Amino acid sequence: MAADYYGHLTGSIRSALLTSISPLEHVATFPQHIYEWATTDFTNINALKIENMQLKTKILLLKAKQQQFANLELEVERLESLLGTTGKMTRQSVQIATITYYSNNPLTQFVTLDKGVLQHASEQQTVIDSKGIMGQIVQTAAASSRVLLITDPDHQIPVRIQRTGQRGILVGTGHDTTQLNFIPKNSMTKVGDLLESSGLGGVFPAGYPVAIITQIEMPEGNPYLEITAQPIAELHQASKVLILTRHNDKTETEKMPATGTDQEALTNGQ
Amino acid sequence: MGSKQLNLPLPQARLAILLSYFFCLVLDTLALLGDASILTPPLTLFALLYWTANFLDRTHLFTAFILGLLADTLYQTTLGAHALIFVLITFLMVRHRLRFKSYPVWQQAFFAGLYMMIYQTLNFLFFSPVLDNGNFVPYWTMPAASILLWPVLAFVLKRLTTMIAYR
Repeated sequence: MAADYYGHLTGSIRSALLTSISPLEHVATFPQHIYEWATTDFTNINALKIENMQLKTKILLLKAKQQQFANLELEVERLESLLGTTGKMTRQSVQIATITYYSNNPLTQFVTLDKGVLQHASEQQTVIDSKGIMGQIVQTAAASSRVLLITDPDHQIPVRIQRTGQRGILVGTGHDTTQLNFIPKNSMTKVGDLLESSGLGGVFPAGYPVAIITQIEMPEGNPYLEITAQPIAELHQASKVLILTRHNDKTETEKMPATGTDQEALTNGQ
Repeated sequence: MGSKQLNLPLPQARLAILLSYFFCLVLDTLALLGDASILTPPLTLFALLYWTANFLDRTHLFTAFILGLLADTLYQTTLGAHALIFVLITFLMVRHRLRFKSYPVWQQAFFAGLYMMIYQTLNFLFFSPVLDNGNFVPYWTMPAASILLWPVLAFVLKRLTTMIAYR
């Protein structure tokens, strides 16, 4: 217990145990899969056509945005070279994964992905959905991995307020919300401010949206504000997620096959 | 408790025991998908208490340890924390099982509720869950829910054992 709590020295035992309970998770989610299969099978063909059209439009818009993004990337590189700062941009690749199991319990909030060590998933990799950061991988088995969500009471992520640049630590509460700590009372924080990952600590890449501030309280006798924030990512609705891998992590990059179907390179300011 | 099952040697009921642990683990996993796991007791521990009380030739402490490790993996807690709680509660049952076995089912249910109260208290001390107003009552109602669940579990496990052992 001490080895696991203080030193995280039980990784292989945890992996073996996670592998052994993976079939149980599959059996437990079987009724849900049956329901999804049945409802998908009876979906109207017209609804599928409309969805297809919407997705095509969405892809077109995203491609247009990506062109702008490529230009911005070049501009940032030029500016960085002018300022003499290098190494600020980190290239990252993504791997698509499917959520196979989840825990919606206030005591522990996690999701299980269908990518494991065999698919080169490793601990501390960041997991995002289409809107923002969901959490990080904390356990890996042969063909599955477990992601601790940002709303889990044991999860902490360094963030900054996008508008002001004020840094803080975002802690999960276990109730689908998060709490922003260490923001002093004299800061200019407002409800609706966007929180993004600050990149400090080296686990989460910088610049990804994490949460939006929904409530600010000023308790007497406490020098810090009590700030509640709602995660941006669809923690309990998303079925497909992306696992981020940094390109400067040599071992991972060498191992990962560069198939265009499920991996794409992207950049992110850090 | 039926007289047939009480006189069974453990090897004859091994399949029933393993099957019960498997189904209880599946049900515990299923309960995690929603908020149900706050109100429902860990069925694996429940089944373990039942078998500990009914098969007196073993201590079941090693089984408790293994099931506890699986619970730690399932609930994403520090490895060994649930294992320690499971072993402790099984040890208490081992000390008390001769008297426990002689009780009628309704009385056993109250003692099972008491064991679950110990489990929940240790759980609270070990993991310090953040309980808001919506979860505080269900969390501490779990022992009461387990009192209602014990007769059902005892009946199902008794039928399962006799069905497999005397098939």
